[in-house]
Amino acid sequence: MRRPSSRWVPPWLFWTLVLAAVTGGMLLLRDELDQAHVALVYLMVVLGASASAGRAVGIGLACAGFALIDFFFQPPYDTLTIDKRPDWLVLIAFLATAAVATQLLARARAEAEAARRRAEEIDRLSLLGAETLSVGRAEEALGAIAHVIRDTIAVAVCEIFVRGTARDIEVRVTGAGHAVAADTGDTSRELVAWVTANGRVAAERPDGSVFRAPRPPNENVSFDLALEDARALLVPLIVHERTVGVLRLADTEAIALDPPQRRFLAALSYYAALGIERVRLVAEAEHAEALREADHLKDALLASVSHDLRTPLTTIKALAHDIAFTGDERAAVIEQQADRLNRMVADLLELSRLNAGALPVRRELNAAEDLVGAAIQQVSGALNGREVRASIEWSEPVLVGEFDFVHSLRILVNLIENALKYSPADTPIDIEVRRTDGMLHITVADRGPGITGAERERIFDPFYRLIPGVSPDDGAGAGLGLAIARRLAEAQGGNVTYADRIGGGSCFTLQLPASSLEEAETVERVHD
Amino acid sequence: MRDDTVLVIDDEPQIRRVVSNALQSEVARVLEAATGNQGIDLANAERPALIVLDLGLPDRAGVDVCKELRKWSSAPIVVLSARHSDQEKALLLDTGADDYITKPFSTIEFTARIRANLRRAQAAQLAAQVQPMTIGDLLVDLNARTLRRGDSSIHLTPIEWELLRTFVTQAGRTLTHQQLFNAVWGRAFGDPQQYLRVHVANLRRKIEQDAVRPQLIVTEPGVGYRFEMPR
Repeated sequence: MRRPSSRWVPPWLFWTLVLAAVTGGMLLLRDELDQAHVALVYLMVVLGASASAGRAVGIGLACAGFALIDFFFQPPYDTLTIDKRPDWLVLIAFLATAAVATQLLARARAEAEAARRRAEEIDRLSLLGAETLSVGRAEEALGAIAHVIRDTIAVAVCEIFVRGTARDIEVRVTGAGHAVAADTGDTSRELVAWVTANGRVAAERPDGSVFRAPRPPNENVSFDLALEDARALLVPLIVHERTVGVLRLADTEAIALDPPQRRFLAALSYYAALGIERVRLVAEAEHAEALREADHLKDALLASVSHDLRTPLTTIKALAHDIAFTGDERAAVIEQQADRLNRMVADLLELSRLNAGALPVRRELNAAEDLVGAAIQQVSGALNGREVRASIEWSEPVLVGEFDFVHSLRILVNLIENALKYSPADTPIDIEVRRTDGMLHITVADRGPGITGAERERIFDPFYRLIPGVSPDDGAGAGLGLAIARRLAEAQGGNVTYADRIGGGSCFTLQLPASSLEEAETVERVHD
Repeated sequence: MRDDTVLVIDDEPQIRRVVSNALQSEVARVLEAATGNQGIDLANAERPALIVLDLGLPDRAGVDVCKELRKWSSAPIVVLSARHSDQEKALLLDTGADDYITKPFSTIEFTARIRANLRRAQAAQLAAQVQPMTIGDLLVDLNARTLRRGDSSIHLTPIEWELLRTFVTQAGRTLTHQQLFNAVWGRAFGDPQQYLRVHVANLRRKIEQDAVRPQLIVTEPGVGYRFEMPR
């Protein structure tokens, strides 16, 4: 709101000249003028001065006017003495009016100025809000914010540092015409790291010393301390009580921030923090999307591997079967090996799905004897006359558990196959089912050599093979059976454990969560 | 039975060849189709006695083909599957397939299953109408609800009777838990479905000679049960 003339003449000089001119003019007409006229004319000058040049000039002119009225326009003229009482009244009234008017004008001016700056802030903030939301790349959005901050705070350099999950981001905006170091120094980097870690304000001083804000009792206090002669100010960018980045302002002069600028800086810092957060969320979403895609790809791969491998295996088996009719005994070996290959592929697929946590587990109410029966049925083809004895409590009601039937069957079949493989051909396999402490214990016991202490846990490691004497040609898998068995059991809230068998041999126990049958009986009665 | 026609729907020529070879001595004619649509057309034109359907077809999902065929054909559908997902098998059986065989399968197993399905299709309903009937060492009268082994009478609960009736009338066919539940309880939902397995275990204790080596009610892991009529 300054007059154009103020560019060449300081306002106070301009208004002093006006006052002098008015005084001179009125002196020529002194005899025709009343004191009140003089006071009114001076008052106009004072008001004009305070309106355009501010309170200080207004008050100065008011005092000068007071002296001039007394000296030139009140008898006795050209002295500061006054002979009549009412003349004092005029003088005091003039001074009071001038002072009050100046004060009011100053306040109105200040309010108008504040309103203007607020409007400007809002404009910039809204512009910035739109930019941070619409700009695609993180650097561009943060660059826009840094630009606005630098222009508003009027500093040479504005930088934003972000410690990213995937990569670090640094944005640096430098004002034109400022001589600034081409790169951020080591001290500054250290300080940036400190602000990131502590979420507090810091500052750099011209003598190379740094200020680190103590745990802040009040942000403003920290700012006041930090701003004492600061050449660089570092502000943490905080969102959801987490420091996501650091804003660094640097200048060749000491940085000064008045309250509106501080408010503005706080708002902008928050915008910057939100911008960084948004960038982080976008990156996270992209990462999750990539993971999902990889997962789909893996599933598709597993499905196609399983399909593509089994189809040729079927053909091989069928052809081997045909050849067997011609009397070639090698055909049986081909068929056997095809089966083995199929088992190994299945094991590998299953282990990879278990590792990926991608194997669905359907825990349902199942009868223990159903499980044992299905397992015996499945191994019946490989028994070659071996005896498998099952001992189940035939008490009512049947023993039941909450487990996944298919997974548990696979475990039990594996345990029985191992027992058959690792024990003498003339010894039986014993299967026993008990219920103890809320768990079903299904024990598979053989009369083999047993397992020595050191190996008891290692047998559950993937690819671990127990007995060197048993060559892979005997139909062993990839050494995954027990590893898969234990993991499958754990996935259902159960376990697979080993114990020595009394009288010699191994004793593997599949534990599964047991269940109660009371409700089932109720159902039966209702339908009876 | 030798004048039966079997349709094989599979996109793999080797599998078609293997299946055809295996069936050559079992049935009169084997038709081959390489896609689901071709298979449906051929089934419509030739009315085969049995359909072998591979799940990994290039043009249509196996379940779709199965549904389409079931709209107008009652011929048994035996599914060939390389996938080991039990839910998928159950879904297939629920949508109308009669049996499934998982790759890689042996020729013996395959032909046995085909034979069983052909036999059942022709004889199942007939057999169930003749009462009382002999199942192994059991004498069953489903109408009078009496069950005897030798001289001793065996008591079954109403639910066990319904289970036995369902099994016997659809002998040789893999019945999903869902199908059994629907048949016995007449409802397609409800928690008691879980207790189906307990009832089956109880029924086995009564009719099997050794309940942990069941010969009549065979468990199809993750899918359901199949009743095997002894010869």
